[in-house]
Amino acid sequence: MSGFLHFLENEIQLAALSFLLLIYAMRLIWLFRLCSRREKTYAAGSAAAGIARSLLNIATPWSMESTRRHPGFYLQFVVFHLGVTAAITLSFIIPYAPQLLEQRWRVRSLQTLIGAALLVGLIRFGRRLVKANLRRISGIDDFLSLLLVILFFLTAIMAAPNRFRQSEWPLVAFFGLTALLLVYVPFSKIGHYLYYPFSRFFFGRQLGHRGVTAKKKNLP
Amino acid sequence: MSVEKSSADAFRDLPLETRSQQQAVGLKSVVNDRLKLYHRGEANGKRFLELLGRRLTRPLAASLAACVHCGLCAEACHYALARPDDPTMTPVYKAEQVRRLFKRHVDWKGRLLSRLRTRGGGIPDDAELNRLKNIVFGTCSACRRCTFNCPMGVDTAAIIRLARGILTELGIVPEGVFNVSRDQWETGNQMAVGETDFLETVEWVQEELRAEMGDARIEIPIDRPDCDFMYSLNPREIKFDPRSLANAAKVFHLAGETWTLPRFGWDQTNFGLFSGDDRLGAEVARNLYQAARRLRARRIVISECGHGYRSSRWEGYNWADYPQDLPSESVIRTLQRYLRQGRLAVDANKNLLPVTFHDSCNIARSGDMVEEPRWILKRVCADFREMHPHGRENFCCTGGSGLLSMAEYRPLRLEVAQIKAGQLRATGAKLVCTMCHNCVDGLGDVIKHYGLDMKVVQVLDLVTSALVL
Repeated sequence: MSGFLHFLENEIQLAALSFLLLIYAMRLIWLFRLCSRREKTYAAGSAAAGIARSLLNIATPWSMESTRRHPGFYLQFVVFHLGVTAAITLSFIIPYAPQLLEQRWRVRSLQTLIGAALLVGLIRFGRRLVKANLRRISGIDDFLSLLLVILFFLTAIMAAPNRFRQSEWPLVAFFGLTALLLVYVPFSKIGHYLYYPFSRFFFGRQLGHRGVTAKKKNLP
Repeated sequence: MSVEKSSADAFRDLPLETRSQQQAVGLKSVVNDRLKLYHRGEANGKRFLELLGRRLTRPLAASLAACVHCGLCAEACHYALARPDDPTMTPVYKAEQVRRLFKRHVDWKGRLLSRLRTRGGGIPDDAELNRLKNIVFGTCSACRRCTFNCPMGVDTAAIIRLARGILTELGIVPEGVFNVSRDQWETGNQMAVGETDFLETVEWVQEELRAEMGDARIEIPIDRPDCDFMYSLNPREIKFDPRSLANAAKVFHLAGETWTLPRFGWDQTNFGLFSGDDRLGAEVARNLYQAARRLRARRIVISECGHGYRSSRWEGYNWADYPQDLPSESVIRTLQRYLRQGRLAVDANKNLLPVTFHDSCNIARSGDMVEEPRWILKRVCADFREMHPHGRENFCCTGGSGLLSMAEYRPLRLEVAQIKAGQLRATGAKLVCTMCHNCVDGLGDVIKHYGLDMKVVQVLDLVTSALVL
């Protein structure tokens, strides 16, 4: 392995990851500094149950009309995010636990999963381009983020076998893109996962307390 | 997302300085700086951004930051469904008009990036604020259907209300919103019913009821202390629909209830919910809670009203920073208790026409009642039919969020009401029942505009007509 690739896989990744975490920490401090009004009302349901249900909506597509009516859309969501998870995991496996990639079936499994996610990414990109309404509500970041993730998938598939002796460029491309993404993510919509727990928490807390999304208490 | 031409631009010529505002100059609420007037000038944009930063709460910030532009919300919105080729009708577009200001001027991350940009995104001028007014007041009924269908939990209705509240603070509001807010600030109720009018109407309703029932003991008590509950009304019941109060009084009498109306603080509606003005919301809600405390009532019962229920039962305590000290409930729950306890005898065969139920957005999605009205209707109607979708997935009557008071947006409102009209028509029902006075008017408009063969009734109407005396 060349010194450059080693540097890219280790020091650069750690620096980019530190930058991402720093921005996230600043975002969380900013968010927690804002007030969050406490309920002054008698509860009709359970805030805790509402929060749990709201956070679990990710695994309960039947709970929302939008995902119930479009199971294919939900399936795409699952595959896409599993692909993201797999590609991120790969960026840690290669430098820190490369022995895990010695078995061919593991590499194939990762490539298959990421490949499926890549396909979904392309479908999503096409959908955003073709559907006039979606295109017109999209900003530059909507396209750029998706494009970067598609490229991230593509390079992950190529880097997964970790054959740096044969050719380093798939790994250079993958880790180069990973570093770029780590810096870009906090400023893009890809960082939505940071806010997801918050928005779902507040939604669930309010409506659970009111007995809208959580079972109501027995009232006299 | 670009700031493209919005359908709301059709209203761009609406004046910011209305006659109502010009006539309100000396009013007490204006002098006391409660009711805000529009002042032409550059400071409005700066003030908007300042208030946007100051009013930001954690839930709002999360909603502003979390959107991924997936577009699923479009399929939940009756505006977007009725105009499928118009992106400016989608909830994401409407929220984005606030979000881009937030990102550019309030969010530190966005401010950092905005230094790299060279064009656009400056401080909004009055024309842009007027445009925003037309979007947030004129193209959204804040029904929260999109919120329930957002995978991220983005509360677009809360973002819309935030923008409405800031614009209200700048006096940049539709004339109808200004007028109703003025009346509620000035008189304590949104239809400016004076105390004499109120007392005379109540007395008249009582006399009529006594004559109808042939029972001189029937009372509509005012300011009676230590009752089981204090009843609160929608001013529409005093001004246009006293039958509703008469029905309630009849049922309470037959159930052997001890109840009272307060002389002041009887209005359970709250225009602060619609205008986004938390101070008005707090003032009106406090009037109600303090009246109940003054009369030592054991609970507050709220008559059939969607936004009134949401405001009085839920939001009002928070706006007024008033820890709830008495149980408060909708009259629907009171009726349910009477029926369960056998205090009322009803016969479903007295209501033979097919009935469907329209869930009020403010009760089903922001309140806590879906099953209760159905439990009652199944006992007082012979032919009850669900509409599709219903409950928490029901579509708005199209008159929500104060839109009934904004005449300028009526053509668009009725155009997008095709979704509601289709829903109503498919039931084949002759009566559509709702537990909201606002929905009564909203649905009435839809029925008339689309020539549907049905009438709007309320739960109390059907319970009263099913009574076995």
